[in-house]
Amino acid sequence: MIDGYVIVSAVTLASIYGLLAIGISIIWSSLGMLNMAFGFTFAAAGYGAWYAAQQFPDSAAAVLAGGILTGALVGALVCAVAFIPLHDKPNFTVRALIATLAISLLGTQALLAVFGPRVKALPKVFGPKTFELTEDVVITADKLGSVASSIVLLLLVLAWMKTSRRGLEIRAMMQNPEGAALVGIGVRSTAFAVMAVTGALAGLAAVLLSQTYFVSPYSGLLPLIKGLIVALAGGLGSVSGALIAACLLGFVEAATSAVLGGQYVLITQFALIIAILLVRPRGIGGLLDETRE
Amino acid sequence: MQHEILKVSGLSAGYGPLRVLHDLDLSIHAGERVGIVGLNGHGKSTLFRAIAGLTDWQSGSVLLDGVEVGGKRSQGPGRHTHRIVRRGLALMPQGDAIFHGLTVAEHLDSGAYTTAAWRARRERREQVLEIFPPLRKLLDVPVGRLSGGERRMVSLGRGLMTDAKLYLVDEPSLGLAPKISKVMIDALMRINLDHGAMVIAEQNLSLLEGRVTRLLGMHGGKLKRGTDLPIGRNAAMEI
Amino acid sequence: MSAPEDTPVGGWRNPQLEHDPARAKVRPVLSAVGRRRWWFKLKGGGDRLWRRVRYPFTRRTVLRIRGEYNPKTLARERTVVDKRPIWWLIGLTLLAVLPPLSGNTSLLSAATIFAIYASINLVWMLIIGTAGIFSLATLAVVGASAYGAAWLSIQHGLPWWGMISTGAGLGLAFGVIVALPAIRLEGFYYALLTLGLVELCRVYVVQSKVFGSATGGLYGADTYVPEALQDSDGAVLLGYAAAFVMLLAMLGLYRLVNGQRLGRLLRTAREDEAFAEAVGIGYDRARVQVFLISSVALGAIGGFYASHFKGVSPSIFSTDQLLLMLAMIVIGGIGTAEGAVVGTLIVVLLDKLLIEWGPMRLVLIGLIMLGTVLFTRGGLFGIKSQFRAWRERRKSERRAARTEKGGEVVPEEATDIHDKQAIYYRRQDKLIRDYLRTLVTDELIEEHRRKPLGQHSEALERVLNYFRRGPVPDKYAVMAIKPFEAYRVVALAGRRGVPPRLVDDRVYPTLEEAYHAVFLRRVNDLLES
Repeated sequence: MIDGYVIVSAVTLASIYGLLAIGISIIWSSLGMLNMAFGFTFAAAGYGAWYAAQQFPDSAAAVLAGGILTGALVGALVCAVAFIPLHDKPNFTVRALIATLAISLLGTQALLAVFGPRVKALPKVFGPKTFELTEDVVITADKLGSVASSIVLLLLVLAWMKTSRRGLEIRAMMQNPEGAALVGIGVRSTAFAVMAVTGALAGLAAVLLSQTYFVSPYSGLLPLIKGLIVALAGGLGSVSGALIAACLLGFVEAATSAVLGGQYVLITQFALIIAILLVRPRGIGGLLDETRE
Repeated sequence: MQHEILKVSGLSAGYGPLRVLHDLDLSIHAGERVGIVGLNGHGKSTLFRAIAGLTDWQSGSVLLDGVEVGGKRSQGPGRHTHRIVRRGLALMPQGDAIFHGLTVAEHLDSGAYTTAAWRARRERREQVLEIFPPLRKLLDVPVGRLSGGERRMVSLGRGLMTDAKLYLVDEPSLGLAPKISKVMIDALMRINLDHGAMVIAEQNLSLLEGRVTRLLGMHGGKLKRGTDLPIGRNAAMEI
Repeated sequence: MSAPEDTPVGGWRNPQLEHDPARAKVRPVLSAVGRRRWWFKLKGGGDRLWRRVRYPFTRRTVLRIRGEYNPKTLARERTVVDKRPIWWLIGLTLLAVLPPLSGNTSLLSAATIFAIYASINLVWMLIIGTAGIFSLATLAVVGASAYGAAWLSIQHGLPWWGMISTGAGLGLAFGVIVALPAIRLEGFYYALLTLGLVELCRVYVVQSKVFGSATGGLYGADTYVPEALQDSDGAVLLGYAAAFVMLLAMLGLYRLVNGQRLGRLLRTAREDEAFAEAVGIGYDRARVQVFLISSVALGAIGGFYASHFKGVSPSIFSTDQLLLMLAMIVIGGIGTAEGAVVGTLIVVLLDKLLIEWGPMRLVLIGLIMLGTVLFTRGGLFGIKSQFRAWRERRKSERRAARTEKGGEVVPEEATDIHDKQAIYYRRQDKLIRDYLRTLVTDELIEEHRRKPLGQHSEALERVLNYFRRGPVPDKYAVMAIKPFEAYRVVALAGRRGVPPRLVDDRVYPTLEEAYHAVFLRRVNDLLES
């Protein structure tokens, strides 16, 4: 039953899940905050891309740029509202979780009030072409484009985290915030940078996913939950763990919908995650850390 | 008289209801190496933390190279620390290295975080490795797996990665064997200060005696300068 | 009569006979002290204090009353330490009376929804506040039992009382499943997992034919409203009465779990988990017990929900509903029963009164929730203590900034010191020390070094007299290691049975040198203060 089609859709899902989870993972590891407003960022970026498409109907770049820019902007906004006032207050983690949930509630409702409940469709960014990999596996251009662009972006982010000054900054902050201040790292400016970059990632993911799904006020919910559970299974804060979990869950989803049917996808995914977490309460990333020790 | 790097006047600071520093005055000039000697709990570390803006509250003026970095503050410890650090302060805190999960090389690089220093970090790292040769073999090892002495070297080396105007070294010998303490102080003495200055807080007077430009005593949150006091009071100080 | 030749006399002036312009100019500094807390005092006391109202069959009093003497008039008076029972009584009476009296059916049905949500939130508060498990699956448990009960009622004709009890059983089963990961996972991992579980339930119910994917929910379950009352105002009134009784039951459950053994165990254990385990408190066990008890209660509420609405729709699993419930407990303040009830009241009122605003009313609720979490530590009911803590912090910081080491008592501190004599003692002590400090000179120290014992000059005698009077704790003393050969300086502990501690490692060959060393230490301390 595991044929080319399953593998193709597994890779597609894995790359998009990776894109969703990596943002949540980076924010958790550097800022110590669970960004539940990620879904709102996603939906708002979808509307941003849609608005850009209305303004410049023929330009694929404008659609992408609209989504990414809106995502970055909303990310910075969430940072300004939820992280900056709270980050040195007592009980920060729980309060930031609740604050981002509140942003998610009011943001979604505001989108609903402004744009209405009707879904919007985005133009095809990568054109209508199709490619035949083998005789029975046909892949559309938008699928190929989204897989390629998300893999490229993921690799870029990984390389950036490992080698650049900003990446070191993020990892230093995750280790010891006071120590980070002592080497001259400003928590607030770093937070803005991190939230804008992850917001841009969410924006890109929104544009890519909206090639298949539609843009609606609630369209961020499922990506949020998928991103969260992938990040969770990967071990919160572990980027490589999140990528492994994305591959695993993408494959499980593709296999489940091929073998059992679409409505069992969430159930098998959850069974897998609970199994992972019962064995390793800190996820796959925790496993990696321990073997390294 | 040399150019004044640090001028602290009327500095009081503390944590919550506890007041640790009492109207403290201090002035450090370029090229000086100053030792601050005092027992545990008399405010040496708090003085350093107050200069870096890390205490719960503080009042009084702190001029770092002529720029006011102190002032009255009752909240937000550490909120301005990174700005003070960028003005040329290198604080090497008491105890361990600060980032346990980073490797030695990354840890040293993090010390050169400011834009200007980041470009020159490789040359700078070489210089630090010359001061602390044992670190050369350990560059790829996570800091958490080093021994106490090696960690202290990393911590000091991290502070030396930038051309700071003012180095504040908090208890470089704490918890180390006497021999290694000596090595640490020797390394600190070998550093070329140029136009900067260095303040070393230490409990062990004998490690610093005769090797620093000036020696100050700290007692109950106040500074006592040895040379300024009359002989009788000085004798009382030495006990 | 002239003084003996070796008694120095020079250098001392009597300060009382001299005019010091600097001292004459000193004006007292008046600074804001702040008010002390005001308490409402009841008159009387004596035997009236002992005639307290107690809950039947227990020793627990309804009101905690403290008897005391008024420090000024010395009259007996009583203070109500915890006024919350009074507020509960007033609030619950109003809730019981006002909605039925208003005669407004829509208000009454809104009040019914409030009572149901408040019951759910109370139980949720047990899970989050008492057990410390950040679970978002509360509504999932309610919804699952409601679906189960409704399905059984529709398919197998289960009566309404059966629905409530089956609901409780289903809640327990669901709770066991949900509690399994809670033992292993840390707070946030668990919160995220349960959020996913809610979504899983919603997707499953929406897609499942058995649970009415075609009709948008399960409808037609049995209800506790009798046939005769159906679709009349009486049905609404009965609904409110039933929901209110359930709210009271859940309040009782909250009190029982949070205020009794389990709650106390958990509150103790939260301070230090490892220590609690070491002294035999089964922390995890107690948490799971609370979770399971709560799940049973949630299941019962689910059964009631299904029988009240004669069915259930998938919207109970929607994220918006979940966030709305979270808004309720966050606004009220996590960890208190009154927070759960009042928060629910505020949100339900906004939600029902501003119904014509459409989605904007949820935006408003979101804004209130955001504001609450940004500015308060414990919601509405934490504001008072947060304000007090803030004021205390400012007060103590200001006090610390002005306190001089060994100086006078600052006014804020003086209001807190009960023994007023201590204040005047400190003031006198400071005056003396300020004066003695002016006497310490090199000659004085030299004089003591030459002759630690015997007759001294006036100034040295004054200094030594002050030192002799010092309090025993931390007083320096000489310890003979070997008489006439080796002495050391020690500091007395000042407590019976605690040996003195060594001050340094110096050894003095003669007693005189040791005396002088003690003197130097005391002079040093005098100059420092």
